Amino acid sequence: MRAYEPDPPRAEGGEYLDGLLARVARGDQAAFEAIYDDLAGPVYGLIHRVVRDPAQSEEVSQEVLLEVWRTAARFDAAKGSAATWVMTIAHRRAVDRVRAAAAAAAREQRNVEVPIAHDEVADTVEASLDAERVRRCLDGLTEAQRESITLAYYGGYSYRQVSGRLNVALSTIKTRIRDGLIRMRDCLGVS
Amino acid sequence: MALRRELHALTGVYALDALDTAAEVTRFERHLNRCGNCTTEVRGFRETATRLGFAAAEQPPPGLRDAVMSAVARTRQVPAGEEHARHARPGQRRRTQTAPRLAMAGAAVGLIAIVVLAIALVNTRSQLSQTRRQLGAAQTQLAAINAVRTAADAHVLAKATSVGGVVTVVSSASRHQLVVTTAGLPRLGAGKVYQLWLIGTHGNKIRSEGLLAPHHGRGGPVLVSGVLPGDIFGITVEPPGGTIQPTVKPIVGIAA
Repeated sequence: MRAYEPDPPRAEGGEYLDGLLARVARGDQAAFEAIYDDLAGPVYGLIHRVVRDPAQSEEVSQEVLLEVWRTAARFDAAKGSAATWVMTIAHRRAVDRVRAAAAAAAREQRNVEVPIAHDEVADTVEASLDAERVRRCLDGLTEAQRESITLAYYGGYSYRQVSGRLNVALSTIKTRIRDGLIRMRDCLGVS
Repeated sequence: MALRRELHALTGVYALDALDTAAEVTRFERHLNRCGNCTTEVRGFRETATRLGFAAAEQPPPGLRDAVMSAVARTRQVPAGEEHARHARPGQRRRTQTAPRLAMAGAAVGLIAIVVLAIALVNTRSQLSQTRRQLGAAQTQLAAINAVRTAADAHVLAKATSVGGVVTVVSSASRHQLVVTTAGLPRLGAGKVYQLWLIGTHGNKIRSEGLLAPHHGRGGPVLVSGVLPGDIFGITVEPPGGTIQPTVKPIVGIAA
């Protein structure tokens, strides 16, 4: 499927990206191209994972990358890394897209629920060394935590939808996601 | 106290964009503003989610780079100064800033409408009161359109139609309204018109929002009120005068 290894969002790499984004905010197109080269792969991959349809994923990716260009001045390094700022926009847009599509389909009374393929997650996660670490950390979660986080993040489901799909109380899902993320965060060494 | 603990437990759900409604997001963000621990936790969770996102990285499609770069070359940036008020918001949730610019365009369109109506005003005295009413209505309409476009929760979505051209919708959930404009819509044959629809989530309710007569592809701004979360705005091509229910597949559908 791929021989593509993006640089992981390392601490030092993070500062490099922060600097680039500050230049982008001043209208520097060359800096934006460097950001593109670093982040287009993760942005497209994540959106593709959530949205699934390649054409729509490309459309959403374009919207996201253009938004990064347009609103670079809003980035505040004190609140998180540049990579996270960009990936947060990407994830949010992807989620908006699938929820709108699901709402439209529900209206036409079609069933578009896409079952999550766990193998596929493992597949993608094998893509790079950094991903290997993510996979190891995912393996360290309980099955229930992993399932809830995967459905919410990669599947784009709201926690109410996750609760419905798994037939588990809403408050339980809330706790599973939080506990799972704490474990992931500590395992990945995120400060 | 119990309520606070409940909100606090939502940090993970919030960081994964998995809250259900915009209202829930607003409520949680209000809590974040007062809760330093939650802010720190959300930040760590977002960095963690970023790692999950990077793990899904793929080679992007070959055309994406050129498409993005050429769009960048013709897209104006939001200046830094405009952002101070918004910096206070946690989680770096941001809104697009297209709305104010659209509002200015709307103001220009509205001004033309007012001038045209003002000319009509001096034409005949008998029409005076009617024209005054129209002028008032046009101003009210314009004010409403600008209110949507400048709303704090204004959200802009643009989508290509299946027959060409782009439809832009600015919606405000808090005002339950949206504003539609079109560009590049193809000219229709004599026997066809563009009709606007609002398609509701509950009970499959479909409501006609009137006809659109684009001038050189440009149509609107049209104000649509009574919009509920999950509603879809759509356009169909119908026979002259329009229909009660859409008779064909929409050329575009946009979630409000």
